[in-house]
Amino acid sequence: MNKKINKPQQEISLQKLQEKVHHLTDELSAIKQQLQQGVEREKVGADVERQGAVREKLGADREKQGADREKIAEEEIHIRTKAMESTFDGIFIIDAKKPNFPIVYANTSFYNLTGYSKKEVIGQNYFLLYGLNKNSHIYEEIKRALSEGRSFHGEMLNFKKNGEKFWSLLRITLVRDKNGTVTHYVGNKTDTTLMKQRNLEIEEQREELLHVTRVGKLAEFVSSLAHEISQPLTAILSYAQAAQRMLKDREPKLQEILQYIVNDDQRAAEVIKRMRYLLKKSKPTLEALNFNIIITDTVALILPQITAKGKAVKYELDANLPLIYGDRIQLQQVVLNLISNSLEAMEDNKDSHDLIIRTSRKDSDTILVQVKDSGSGILPEHMNKLFTHFFTSKPDGLGMGLSISRSIVEAHGGHLDAVNNPDRGATFYFTLPVDKKKD
Amino acid sequence: MENSIIYVVDDDESVCRSVGLLLKAHGYKVQTFTCAADFLAFKHPKVLSCLILDIRIPHINGFALQELMAEQGILTPVIFISGYGNIPMSVKAMKAGAIDFLPKPFTSKELLNAITNALSKSKVQNKTQAEIAKIRERIKTLSPRELEVFHFVAQGMMNKNIASKRGTSLQTIKVHRGRVMQKMQAKTVTELIGFAKIAGITPSTK
Repeated sequence: MNKKINKPQQEISLQKLQEKVHHLTDELSAIKQQLQQGVEREKVGADVERQGAVREKLGADREKQGADREKIAEEEIHIRTKAMESTFDGIFIIDAKKPNFPIVYANTSFYNLTGYSKKEVIGQNYFLLYGLNKNSHIYEEIKRALSEGRSFHGEMLNFKKNGEKFWSLLRITLVRDKNGTVTHYVGNKTDTTLMKQRNLEIEEQREELLHVTRVGKLAEFVSSLAHEISQPLTAILSYAQAAQRMLKDREPKLQEILQYIVNDDQRAAEVIKRMRYLLKKSKPTLEALNFNIIITDTVALILPQITAKGKAVKYELDANLPLIYGDRIQLQQVVLNLISNSLEAMEDNKDSHDLIIRTSRKDSDTILVQVKDSGSGILPEHMNKLFTHFFTSKPDGLGMGLSISRSIVEAHGGHLDAVNNPDRGATFYFTLPVDKKKD
Repeated sequence: MENSIIYVVDDDESVCRSVGLLLKAHGYKVQTFTCAADFLAFKHPKVLSCLILDIRIPHINGFALQELMAEQGILTPVIFISGYGNIPMSVKAMKAGAIDFLPKPFTSKELLNAITNALSKSKVQNKTQAEIAKIRERIKTLSPRELEVFHFVAQGMMNKNIASKRGTSLQTIKVHRGRVMQKMQAKTVTELIGFAKIAGITPSTK
């Protein structure tokens, strides 16, 4: 036990640390009690001194024991103080018996975190610091919890002395004496600003990707719709114009009707053309990209979903991968689509766990990206239709993901395809041309 | 128009039928196919022709078919048609040597104009092909020595240079050269050099 505290581990969880502080507090009061008893026994020892030399010796022994205990207690206090000072968390203790709840102790991390000095903190009410009163609902929540004898746990926005904002996770626990009366509150404050920022960034990127995906789906939808409609429009126009030609200089009434058909066909074609034009306006932003980074960035966006499904991504990335030239978001979309598909393919298989993403150099002009799953694989009858619009093997799928991915890869001058693995699952792979200018 | 054939390759049967009817109404002979393989398997008569080809057809797409045609020596000029009227695709089509790229739906006027262009290109191509064949036939009649002299002349060498290079008399070269002109049916040296270019003996100046 002592050894562990002598070497406080940085990774030790706050809760564990707290538990340890509690435990030590209990131990300390036990030691104090024993010490008290020791002193009393010493008195008794003095009384019986007259009773004989043997007993005198016993008394001396006890005195020695008492001194030993005092030494141990001192050491314990020293270790505990060191432990409190060395933790990254801001720790403070509030005297619960005084009406204004003053802070009676705070560790160095607390001062560093808040920007206040010891002088400014000790004796002050916790809530007066960093304008917590502005954030009244948290203030009320803390007050209610403490008055009901409950501990408190919550994340909040605080202000440093210089007015700088920071996010923190605050936990307040109660310290009771042996009668059960609350004597102190121990607060534990963790700075979560960086984590919060990172989460916000990830959230923003995810939003951006989702938006582009939605727009991409719409564009792809319109494009395939336009194609499907242009086929019969072509046929109608040609039939009508063939008939016009055949009736040349005859049947003026029929000629007129045929011309109406031709006109309206062209009107429909105009609508399609305009629709296409509207969706083609967003030009891709092209830049030199390291595809390994595209992959790790995309995985970071959906890591929560991957881990929630009990799956893991294994990277086999070529560290010397040449740069490629393309649109970051569009290519992220491709990676996202392929990962999502693989995850879905592995969903029902409890024992399929790993999703392998591999990058390599195919030849001097091309890179190869592979997403290999250990899922159910692709049915042979689905292989041909895999990349066509509106084809899906999922009950709630739109059948757009893979066709969009293929369009994106092809627009980048590459090729996307799929193959079943010899053992199990499938591998989706695509090539992209190397950026000649940068390589 | 007579003695020409228009091929249509589109996986949509209705497009094939309607375009076929339209072109027949304009007096063309038409052959339609719903896949690339059928078109390749077809025995192409040696007449003027052009191919109206949809880019997105299953199995072998339009661009791949164009490459296969080049490999198999089918010289038919191609007019691409597509329901995906995007610019990169049309650029790719034109770069691949297409006569035109028509986004669907196209009017009869657009189609007929493109066909007229394609057939005139086909005519030039056929003429060139025939000419090449004719010249190659004549080259076959040359003796090894005459062929050698033909090569030197084609490179623009003077008689005396050829003679010193060959180590023969100027008179002998003159005789060989006369026979080359006669067998190749060339009236002037310039014409002879032109034949060499057409036959691919010397690189084309283009």
